[in-house]
Amino acid sequence: MKAKTTKSSDGDPVSISKWIHKFRQSKDDHTWWTTFGLILCLTMATRLYRLDSPDHVAWDETHFGKMASWYINRTFFFDVHPPTGKMLIAAFGYLTGYDGKFEFEKPGQKFDETHYLGMRFGCTMMGAALVPMAFITVWELTHALPAATFAAAAILFDNGMVTLNQYILLDPILMFFIMGAAMGQSKFYNQRHNPFTVSWWSWMAFTGAMLAGAISVKFVGLFVVVLVGLYTIKDIWDILGDLSYPISYTVKHFLARALCLILLPTVLYMFAYYVHFTVLSKSGPGDGHFGSAFQSQLEGNSLHNASMPREICYGAGVTLKNHRTAGAYLHSHPHLYPPEAGPVQQQVTTYSHKDYNNIWLVKRYDVDMPSEEEEAQPDFKPECVKSGDLIRLEHEATSRNLHSHRHPAPVTKRHFQVSGYGENGTGDSNDVWRIELVDGKEGDQINVVTDRFRLIHYMVGCALFSHNKQLPKWGYEQQEVTCNPNTRAEFALWNFEENYYDKLPNVSFAIYQPSFLEKFFEAHMVQFQGNAGLKPKEGEVTSRPWQWPIDYQGQWFSIGDPDKREPGPHKDHEIRIYMMGNPVIWWGNLGFIALYAVIYVWNFVSSARGVRESAQERVRKANLTYACNWLMLAWALHYFPFYGMGRILYYHHYFPAQLFISMMSGVLVNYMLESLPRAVPSFRVDQTWTAFAVVYLSILTYSFYLFAPLTYGMSGPEKKEPGHRYDHLLWMDSWEF
Amino acid sequence: MAVEDSDLRQRKKKSPKKATDAITGQVVDDDEDLVKTGIEKLKKIKKSLVASSDSDEPDTKSKPKPSRSAAASSSAPASGGVQPHHGFDGVALLLLVGGLLTRLHQLGLPRAIVFDELHFGKFAGYYVNNMFFFDSQPPLGKQLLALAAHFAGFDGNFNFDRIGSEYPEGFPVYALRLLPAVAGSLLLPASYCLLRQLGVSRPAAGLAGLLLLLDNAVLVQSRFMLMEPFLLLFSVLGVFCLVRFRHYRERPFSLPWLGWLTAGFVFLGAATSVRYSGLLTLLLGAVIVCRDFWTLIPDRRVTSGQLLAQLAARALAVLAVPLLVYGASFYAHLTVLHKAGAHDNVMTSAFQASLDGGLASIIQNQPLEVGHGSQVTLRHTLGRTCWLHSHEGVYPVKYDDDRGSSHQQQVSCYSYKDVNNWWIVKQPDIDDMRVTSPFKPVKHGDIIQLVHGMTSRALNSHDVAAPMTPGNQEVSCYIDYNISMPAQNLWKVELLNGKDTGNVWHAIVSQVRLIHQPSGTALKFTGQQLPDWGHNQLEVTCDKVVQQDDTIWNAEEHRYTLAEGSEKQQEDMAGAEMLPLSSARLSLWAKFTELQLKMLFNNQETVQGHMYASDPLDWLSLKRGVAYWISPDSNAQVHFLGNAAVWLAASASLAAYAGIMGIYLLRRRRECYDIPEDEWDKMCDLGLIVLLGFALNYLPYFIIDHTFFLHHYLPAYIFAVLMSACIVDHVFVLLGRVAGGWLRLPAAAGVLLWLAAAVYTFIRFSVVTYGTTPLSAPEVQALAWRDTWDLIVHKP
Repeated sequence: MKAKTTKSSDGDPVSISKWIHKFRQSKDDHTWWTTFGLILCLTMATRLYRLDSPDHVAWDETHFGKMASWYINRTFFFDVHPPTGKMLIAAFGYLTGYDGKFEFEKPGQKFDETHYLGMRFGCTMMGAALVPMAFITVWELTHALPAATFAAAAILFDNGMVTLNQYILLDPILMFFIMGAAMGQSKFYNQRHNPFTVSWWSWMAFTGAMLAGAISVKFVGLFVVVLVGLYTIKDIWDILGDLSYPISYTVKHFLARALCLILLPTVLYMFAYYVHFTVLSKSGPGDGHFGSAFQSQLEGNSLHNASMPREICYGAGVTLKNHRTAGAYLHSHPHLYPPEAGPVQQQVTTYSHKDYNNIWLVKRYDVDMPSEEEEAQPDFKPECVKSGDLIRLEHEATSRNLHSHRHPAPVTKRHFQVSGYGENGTGDSNDVWRIELVDGKEGDQINVVTDRFRLIHYMVGCALFSHNKQLPKWGYEQQEVTCNPNTRAEFALWNFEENYYDKLPNVSFAIYQPSFLEKFFEAHMVQFQGNAGLKPKEGEVTSRPWQWPIDYQGQWFSIGDPDKREPGPHKDHEIRIYMMGNPVIWWGNLGFIALYAVIYVWNFVSSARGVRESAQERVRKANLTYACNWLMLAWALHYFPFYGMGRILYYHHYFPAQLFISMMSGVLVNYMLESLPRAVPSFRVDQTWTAFAVVYLSILTYSFYLFAPLTYGMSGPEKKEPGHRYDHLLWMDSWEF
Repeated sequence: MAVEDSDLRQRKKKSPKKATDAITGQVVDDDEDLVKTGIEKLKKIKKSLVASSDSDEPDTKSKPKPSRSAAASSSAPASGGVQPHHGFDGVALLLLVGGLLTRLHQLGLPRAIVFDELHFGKFAGYYVNNMFFFDSQPPLGKQLLALAAHFAGFDGNFNFDRIGSEYPEGFPVYALRLLPAVAGSLLLPASYCLLRQLGVSRPAAGLAGLLLLLDNAVLVQSRFMLMEPFLLLFSVLGVFCLVRFRHYRERPFSLPWLGWLTAGFVFLGAATSVRYSGLLTLLLGAVIVCRDFWTLIPDRRVTSGQLLAQLAARALAVLAVPLLVYGASFYAHLTVLHKAGAHDNVMTSAFQASLDGGLASIIQNQPLEVGHGSQVTLRHTLGRTCWLHSHEGVYPVKYDDDRGSSHQQQVSCYSYKDVNNWWIVKQPDIDDMRVTSPFKPVKHGDIIQLVHGMTSRALNSHDVAAPMTPGNQEVSCYIDYNISMPAQNLWKVELLNGKDTGNVWHAIVSQVRLIHQPSGTALKFTGQQLPDWGHNQLEVTCDKVVQQDDTIWNAEEHRYTLAEGSEKQQEDMAGAEMLPLSSARLSLWAKFTELQLKMLFNNQETVQGHMYASDPLDWLSLKRGVAYWISPDSNAQVHFLGNAAVWLAASASLAAYAGIMGIYLLRRRRECYDIPEDEWDKMCDLGLIVLLGFALNYLPYFIIDHTFFLHHYLPAYIFAVLMSACIVDHVFVLLGRVAGGWLRLPAAAGVLLWLAAAVYTFIRFSVVTYGTTPLSAPEVQALAWRDTWDLIVHKP
């Protein structure tokens, strides 16, 4: 807008003021397209500028680039986020000739000959789409061209937004879908007077598709689902209140929404997982996170195409896996616990790798396994283990029994020590364990791989348990195994993974292959566990939600290479990128939130107290309330839930919320400007309006220009070193650039 | 009604036209809905105007009848107007008697420490002895217990060592348990009166009281030295007062109006001062008062000035009154606890110095100004207590991860007092360690050296990665190996609160950052533990990030070096004699703020995966109880577990309320009014108070990441039980309106049956509630109705 005014300033002043007048009235299609086109150009210019620098891996590109490689190489991996975003990145890479060979080892690694620009370009384009989409959304909400322009400018000139959108990250993709859903929602809302028309259906379906996209990039996409859901409830509520239609009309509306906003997103979401599982068909770094049955489907995994007996019978050699994410195998070796770790008996641990020492023999608690003569008889029928049986587990390599007693465990002192005890399979009564099937009743047969069970120590009544705590050096840093007095503890579940017994027929593992739905649900369980496990480590400084809106601290994207720094014109390798929101916009937004609260209360009180005003004024206020309430709700939904999250949080989590609050600032600025006629004499209104608008947009542009080095690369000495070039920008002590 | 409707239709047709005249067509198109809602609002306002003009007219002649004027405002919360009676009647009295009988029955038994009596009994003892202690919950409840202990003559000399130990002869068990038991008994009539105030019928309100009486969980919690009885009683009483307050909205600033408002927030403030979770009910109280004010705004009979005055009065009540109560309890806390005690170490040196005994006796009369020649111990001020320490012993040449070290003398932070914690402050340009005359105090910005007293080596840092935190610089005591690693032992002193002391470093009070020169890094406590080679002491490093709490230190013990020669100085140090000069004090406000911050940010070590811990989701279905006590000789035990018949019905009633109201809402949207308006208003009001009370006391537990037990649910549970009685009340109102009301008979029979089930369950489980009956193993097992109820069997 500002550029427009300056551009046409050579012309005659009447035409400028005419254009501004048209712009304010927002009725002219031509003006609309001019403004939109201008914004589009500025967006492309700011987003594509220096897209290729730095030419090394920046920040989390190391994760998402790596994952894109895995997709291209079809190796199975595990990530806490749903697959769509990473699949899109992989698609961008694949289409632009990236071969999946680059390691993405750590931030700072040089790309050299790698075709990385395609992936960056794809992400950047999705991020760039935010600005025009915000423009359209606000236009649909207010039908005021200035409001839409101000809103788009607040996103366009946000340095943090540009930075976050320029790299191979999930965030531009996530925000694209969130904004898309918001735009579809507002478009759909404006179709409400012609229900069941083609455009009504298509905008609703569009919204649904965007919702599916949002939630299948990151789970925080759920917030926009809630937003659309709340809005739909209100919509249905309004339709229900219209007594001129029968109730069946409401039902019809409800079903249409269920179809497009519930069913369609669900199908698309599941489809994303279907593609994910189909593409990733080879064994890779993610195998261990999943259950044994899942792994049997991955090419190259040791369980792939394996065959073994189905039932666990007495005399069989088995391996036991702790049933949890990345659970390891029950293990023992001929080394003893040191005296400080309780009785000096043989160590029992869990160990993540396959090893001969993971094999245990299943025996009855009282007699030995069926003798060889018995087994040799032709009519010999092996007896199998049932839930509730009392058993012994003998370590095959050392012939010691799995044993526990009332002595504190080596690391977790509240638990009891588990050890290997006895000679050649002869031990004592503390070697007896009761096997209890989960989700089964007593007497049920126990199957390999699929069945989960507890091992309850018969004498003490505690449950065999393992967790991530490592033993000290004497235990080779393997994980601790204990007997937990809380038998309902989470990690007290085990399953048999391998089963060797030649008296039983082997069955192919193919029968355990989980269906798509089982895989779908298992993947979610693992993801939720993974997310819950992302706790800040002790002493780690994490970003807190209160810091975000005040722009307390940014995030280093690229720290350059201090060793190679040299005087003179900067080179690419020393570029530093610091993602931080444009403080002018961010702090301004805080002010706008407060301002809106005041305006809202003021408007409510004055109407409740019966202050008379024109119908035009009332409609204008209602317009404001509608648009701002919706945007504030969107902001709140994307911000406040983070306060309740125990997982580790980052600054960039705030950006979706920032989108909405920036849009609201546009609406509010327009409202304030349109309130001018009350404050200034009528012949001054046009001039004042123009002056304020130009000043506002200039401030946004200038602040963007001011902080542009953060986005496009800083060089020279670091903060606090002499000769630091950006001292004048260090408005807050907490900023690190 | 019909007239209004036609009126409405006319307006519907007219108003869009009007709007088109005034503004551009587009806006109108888009906002037809808004116009519509606007009309609906107009209609509402009109309604209220009609109503108010009705009551206004007689107003000029005679005083309005109370019932009439309350109906004036269309959205006035409660029906019925001023209820002259507060609701305490025979039923309430019966409930009180029933409560006292059940709660006082065998109150002195079991005569052993039950569950958290371990803490609260101990705290009472500390109060009696005036000894300082630290707890992360506010003090009021503990003070009440302590008061009882004081009057019962408890001398505080009992060591609360573990749950289950016997109380000695002469220990006033009964007296200490009496106050919670009485509070728990008063809870029943209080709940009854609250429901009566909300317009619930007498039988239904009585039912609520009876259900609470029959609940084993509430009973167990009321019978021991625990905080919940106070919390629950104060919460319910607070809400009761505020509901009562609303009845006086026609008489603002009258004595009862002011009285009930103040009383309500006194009680809610007291609840918050017992446990921080009382804040949730305080929030409910604020919502009640704000919502009441919000409905007052459209009332034209109230002038804007009056509105502002009311706003001010209400805001004052919501904010100031609870704060006063809270502050008063802390005032008592800090005044009573003036002696040093077990938890001194949690607090800063300045705080400790203000307590009698303990640190105060050590530092009494020690010199104030730190200068050249001062011998000091340097304490890590905030967070974990430890002192800067060094000892003979060097960093290992190579760490396990193959990084190298400087192989110089270790420097660490040590949690115990030790002779190796002494350091001598030295100015770089003076070699003699003795204090100079005239004395040279260290000022803000001065460069100093710190010499370790026992080894005479200077504190040093250099560009070598620290042992546990490789991102930071290693700190050592410099040994000159005569290789290319010069000493870098200069430190700049930065005083954080230099203004208070005239920029001179004072012992105890000054908070100091030591900035290493020239690297500009700050001496920091990292919280990491060194391995065996460092004797498991805590790591100290130099960090680039200067502005953080862990870089703050203060001089604690302090004396001047007078002796000559380092040997003599070391002897002096080992002797540790004090020189009498002057002492330090701390204001009550400073003590309060420090204690408050410590309480809020103290991450108490929570036992993850505790055997009896439960999730908020498990609470609704009563999945697990908590074992409180088990007799050493038999299976007699106290198990905290609710009455399943009451509990599950209470949970179900929440869903029932949501369902019923959902149906009404949808029906009303289609203009089908199924129940009389006053009953509808009552149901809405119940939603605002009872359901919101439940939600506020329940939902936050999902957000907070902590280990919880079933008893955390009790405040929410009280509201759930109230809701079940409200649903019964509503069902009876409904049944009274159909088929002549005869359906009420079978419904009453149903309620009686339910009560019978509750009584049966109560009696069945009273053995583990009172814990006085030795049980056989099968008897215990028979009580485990769900296999997740872990009652203890440890004897046959």
